[in-house]
Amino acid sequence: MFRAIAAHLMMTLMLAALLGGCGDSDAPATARSPADGLTGKLTLTGSSTLAPLAAEIGKRFEQRHPGVRVDVQTGGSSRGIRDVTSGAADVGMSSRSLNADETPGLTTHTVAWDGVCFIVHRDNPVAALTNEQLLAIYTGKIDNWKQVDGDDAPIVVIDRAEGRSEVELVTHFFRITTPDIKADAIAGENQQAIKSVSTNPNAIVYLSIGTSEHEAARGVPIKLLPLNGVPASVATVLDGTFPLARPLIMITRNDTPSPLVDAFIAFATSSDVDDLVEAQSFVPIKH
Amino acid sequence: MSHTPTTRTMTPGKPGAMSRAATLDVAAALFAWGCAAIVTAAFAWLLIDVAWRGVGGLSWSFLVDEPSDAGRAGGVGPVVLSTLLILAVCMAVSVPLGLGAAALLAEFTRGDTRFARLVRRSLDVLAGVPSIVFGLFGNAFFCLALGMGYSILSGGLTLACMVLPILIRVTEQGMRDVPDAQRHAAAALGLSRTTTLLRVTLPAAMPALAVGLVLGVGRALAETAALIFTSGYVTRTPASLLDSGRSLSVHIYDLAMNVPGGETHASAAALLLIAVLLAINLLTNWITRRTHPGWH
Repeated sequence: MFRAIAAHLMMTLMLAALLGGCGDSDAPATARSPADGLTGKLTLTGSSTLAPLAAEIGKRFEQRHPGVRVDVQTGGSSRGIRDVTSGAADVGMSSRSLNADETPGLTTHTVAWDGVCFIVHRDNPVAALTNEQLLAIYTGKIDNWKQVDGDDAPIVVIDRAEGRSEVELVTHFFRITTPDIKADAIAGENQQAIKSVSTNPNAIVYLSIGTSEHEAARGVPIKLLPLNGVPASVATVLDGTFPLARPLIMITRNDTPSPLVDAFIAFATSSDVDDLVEAQSFVPIKH
Repeated sequence: MSHTPTTRTMTPGKPGAMSRAATLDVAAALFAWGCAAIVTAAFAWLLIDVAWRGVGGLSWSFLVDEPSDAGRAGGVGPVVLSTLLILAVCMAVSVPLGLGAAALLAEFTRGDTRFARLVRRSLDVLAGVPSIVFGLFGNAFFCLALGMGYSILSGGLTLACMVLPILIRVTEQGMRDVPDAQRHAAAALGLSRTTTLLRVTLPAAMPALAVGLVLGVGRALAETAALIFTSGYVTRTPASLLDSGRSLSVHIYDLAMNVPGGETHASAAALLLIAVLLAINLLTNWITRRTHPGWH
């Protein structure tokens, strides 16, 4: 009985594999003849921070060019750079700038910015904090606002959920690791982070600059703290002066020009994807 | 025992000694029960926690829809399909190979030839290799060297490499546990070695194979590290085994770690994964019971 079932299953599987295999190999190339002439498959690999956004951009690109398939794979920025160099991927993804020895033969295209700022309640008298003060607050060495020229009130330190790109940026900026952070509470969602500060004059949290600026402009009682004297805003992220920000980059090879890759990069850097960028809490580039 | 008269009788002994032994017995029993309770409680806690967080997100549309907004919205339909296809490839390859290798070890190299020892040692080492190593190997060998690219086929074959050691060792043990008397009886009837294997040993070892299968399927379904570099990250409905397809475990990992706001769908997907695992477990159990009434 068992053997009969097993054999039957196996036959079905093998048949399915054969049929599936035959169907696929020529489907994208010949089955469709889209009007714009773009056909084929694009493979992107690299940064896991950029991958969810890239997958959404790819999906929208596929809708506009039915003959194209965009496959997004992850594995980290270094892998993205390596894969595009070796030709294993058409486009690499990186959430850090390239090192000098990685750049020859490659072109980088910034598709979005990942910027993070610290925010407090609008009624908090503290207008700015130095990097040392911020570090001391987040590692539990300063626990009262009066130590940084504020009111006599305990500081409610709010950290972000592990694995978020904000945490990566902040720990990298202060050269600490996540266990070094001594937080009173953890905020996962951006909205949760905003609410934890807008409802508590003694709280401090960090989150996406795009979201913070948007909420502050809407009248939510929060204040974006400057960093190294640079005001926290989308503008300073875009002109590269805000220190707590990084570009999200797509990388292409110079020696193998392809109309498909060019079209995709043009699309990924166009204003057509701004809403997708914002949905992932990143800052869209200037167009 | 009962029919042999015994000279030893239960002597009352010293009351103190007796009660100390009794206390020890009670303590040992309590300890054993306690351990079992902790194990069960840990499993129950995990199950209830996942169910509590995930059950709200489960619905028919979640099961069949395509993910959208990086997985925060939509469902897991293509992901479930990819997972089942990866599992199917893995099993279609590993079960025949595993049976063959186990038969070699248990039937054709009885005793301890140097070759059998070498094979066994390699399998034990392989079984302990971290899955990320299989992932990188699969990426280098299946995806790049054999040119399969990021595909369900690459993922399934990588998983097969990973599952084989468990499958072979468990099946081999099952075959060894079949009493030699049965083989002798088969030989006395003039059956060939192959016929004996197919008609006597293999059916008798079927429950062990089922256990190996359940363990293998469990490891395969839970696998993330080996799949992220082989079957990949793509959430489109796969059109063939040569397409990249994201497995449920990779999807859960991505939603929980990479996608802000993906927690609800991550929990729902985790609950689904556990449900699939339990279903496969029960099904295997049921089939084995149907075919081997004495086994449980």
